[in-house]
Amino acid sequence: MAAITAQNIKKSYGHIHALKGVSFDVREGEVFGVVGPDGAGKSTLFNILTTLLLPDSGTATVLEHDLLRDYLEIRKNIGYLPGTFSLYPDLSVEENLIFFATMYKSSIPDNMPLIKPIWEQLLPFKKRPAGKLSGGMKQKLALCCALIHKPTLLFLDEPTTGVDPVSRKEFWEILGTIKKQGISVVVSTPYMDEATLCDRIALLQEGEFIRMDSPKAIVNDFQGELVSLRTTDIFKLLKLMNDCPLTCTFYPYGENLHVIFYEPMETVLPPFEAFLQKNDISYDKLTQITPTIEDCFIEIVRTKN
Amino acid sequence: MRVILILIKKEFLQVFRNSLLWKILLLAPLAEFLLFPYTADYEIKNVHIAFVDHDRSSMTSGILSKFSASQYFINHGVVDSRKKAEAMMQADEIDFIIEFPTNFERSVVTMEPTKIGITANAINTVKAGLGSEYVQRVLADYLMDLSAAAESPLQPKVAQLVTTNVYWFNEQMNYKNLIVPGLLIILVTLIGAYVTALNIVREKELGTIEQVNVTPIKKWQFLLGKMIPFWILGMAEFCAGLVIMKLMFGISIQGSLLLLLGITAIYLLVMLGLGFFISSMAGNQLQAMFIVFFLFILFVMLSGVFTPIEGMPEWAKYINYANPMSFFMTAVKTVILKGSTVESIRTQFIVLSVMAVVLNTAALLSYRDKVQ
Repeated sequence: MAAITAQNIKKSYGHIHALKGVSFDVREGEVFGVVGPDGAGKSTLFNILTTLLLPDSGTATVLEHDLLRDYLEIRKNIGYLPGTFSLYPDLSVEENLIFFATMYKSSIPDNMPLIKPIWEQLLPFKKRPAGKLSGGMKQKLALCCALIHKPTLLFLDEPTTGVDPVSRKEFWEILGTIKKQGISVVVSTPYMDEATLCDRIALLQEGEFIRMDSPKAIVNDFQGELVSLRTTDIFKLLKLMNDCPLTCTFYPYGENLHVIFYEPMETVLPPFEAFLQKNDISYDKLTQITPTIEDCFIEIVRTKN
Repeated sequence: MRVILILIKKEFLQVFRNSLLWKILLLAPLAEFLLFPYTADYEIKNVHIAFVDHDRSSMTSGILSKFSASQYFINHGVVDSRKKAEAMMQADEIDFIIEFPTNFERSVVTMEPTKIGITANAINTVKAGLGSEYVQRVLADYLMDLSAAAESPLQPKVAQLVTTNVYWFNEQMNYKNLIVPGLLIILVTLIGAYVTALNIVREKELGTIEQVNVTPIKKWQFLLGKMIPFWILGMAEFCAGLVIMKLMFGISIQGSLLLLLGITAIYLLVMLGLGFFISSMAGNQLQAMFIVFFLFILFVMLSGVFTPIEGMPEWAKYINYANPMSFFMTAVKTVILKGSTVESIRTQFIVLSVMAVVLNTAALLSYRDKVQ
C-alpha cells in the first residue's frame, strides 16, 4: 500500500507557478523528505496533500482516499505540523493538547504511549501558555498535538526551521521513534544535512521535482571529482577562480571552497595547484572528499540549467 | 457534541484570558451608559432670548413676563434696536430674537392680521428647532389666557392657532427613554457582529484555523462552536444593560421581559451570522473591521436609534427594510416603553428570524475549510 500517490499536481497563484506538475509516491512506513530552498513550493505541496488547498489540476490519493472526494477521511488519519506555529498561544500546553485530542474524538490516555517521550519533556511547562514556550518546545507541543489521534501518516512542514542545532538533532531522533511505530512521515526541510536522515528524498526546485531517490543513491550518482580547500581569504580566492583555466564548478561551502572537476584527479590536480601557487594563494588543505547531498543538489541544479 | 463543547470552552478560556477584551466587554457598556445619555440630551433649557419691541404696549410686556416666568428661557429683556439684538446674537449671547411690530396690541384686539418676528440662531439646529417650538407655545399660552379672561370673540380664533403637542409613551419628552434602549441595541450589535468577525479573522491570521480545519471537524460544528459562546456573551451583556437601565435611569420594562429576551436572542443570531459571513470574506482584522464599521454606521444612521425614521426620505425607508437594527429598535422600543404583546411585534419577529436563517446559511456556505 502506498501512503501517497500523486500525479501531475499543479498549482498557480496568479502568474506564479508554485507547482509545475509534481508526481511521486510515498511508501508506507518510510520517511520521505522534500528538500528545497525557500519558495520552491514545499508548503504549497503540503497544503494540497493535507486537503487545505485545492490543486489546479492533477490527482492524488492519500492513504488510498481520493484527495478531493474523501477529504474528511484523509483528515481523520493524517497529522499535520504546519510551517508556522499554529496552536492557540493563549491556551496552556495541556489545554492545547486536550483541545486537539477532542477535535479528533481521541483520548489522551489511549495514545499516551506514542507521545510519551515528547510529552515528558513538556510536563514541566504544562500550565504555561503555548505562545510563551521556546521555539523547540513549541515544535514538540505541535508534534504532540499532531500525533494525539495516532495518525497513520504525518506531514511535517519545515519542523526544524528556526530551531537550535541540539533541538534539531533531538527532533530527528523523535522522528526515528515515530517511524518505528509504523507511521509514514513526509517532512520538508531547507537543511541539506537533514535530508540524509530520510529514507528517500525529493529535490524540489521552482515547483518541480528535479531528482527523487534515496540519499545514498543520489550521492553515488554524483558525477565528477569533488575537492575541498581551506584558505584564509575566501573572497580573494572566489574572485580568482573566475580566471581558472580548468573546467570546474566552484562554490563556498561553510568556511571552505568546494570545487568540482570533470576529469580524473591525476590530470587536474597538478595544474590546479600550480595555478593557486602562481597567484599567491595560501591554503591549509586540499583534499578530495565524498559529496554531501548539498553538493549533489548544487550539481543537479547546475546540470539542469 | 463533545467537539462543540470543547470549542465553546476554548472560546471562553480565550475571552477570559484576554484581559483587555474582557475588560472592554465589561467597561464599554458601563462607560456608554454613564456618558452618552447625558451628552446626547436633546432637551433644551437655558434658551437665551431678547426682545425688540416696537409696540411697548401692555400686551408685549405681558408676553415678556410670561417668558421670564418660563423655566426654559433666560430673558435678556428688551433691546433698543434690531441692530443691537443682531449684534448680541453674533456674539453668541442670545439664541432668539422676538420682534413685536408697531401697533401689535391694537392689531390683535381688532383682529387684523399681524406678525411676530422670531429669529433663531440655528448653529445648534436642535436648540433652534425645539426653542422655536417653545417660543410658539409660550405665545399661544399667553393669547389663550388673554382670550379666556376677556371672554372675547377672540377665543375661537386663537384656539385655532394653538397646537397642543401630546407626547405618548414618553410623556415628559425624556430623551433618555429613547437613548438608553438605543445604546442597548448598539451594544448587542457590537458584540454580535464585531467581536465574532474579528475573532474568526484573528484565527486566520494566527494560522490556528488551518490547524482546526485539518482535523475532521465539520463546518457546522465550527460555526456553532463560534456562535454559541458569543451568543451567551451578547445575552449576558444585554441583561446587564437592562439592569443598569433600571437602576441608573429608572426605566422599567413595560412589556414582558421574556418577549424582550426572545427578540434579542433572534437579533443576536442575525448579527452573529453577519459577523461570521464577513469573516469569510476578510483576509485580516483590518479588512474585517472596516466592513463591519461601514455596515454598522449604516445600520445606526438608518435605524432610528438617534434620528427619527419618519423624517427620512422615501428611499431611505426602503433601505431600512434590509436593516435588522431598525426592526430590532422598533421591537425594543415598543416592548420597553409601550409594553406591547407578541402580536404587535410579530412582523419584527418574522423578519429577524428570516434574516437570521439567511445570514447563517450564507455564513455556512461561504466558510471555506479548504482554499481554492
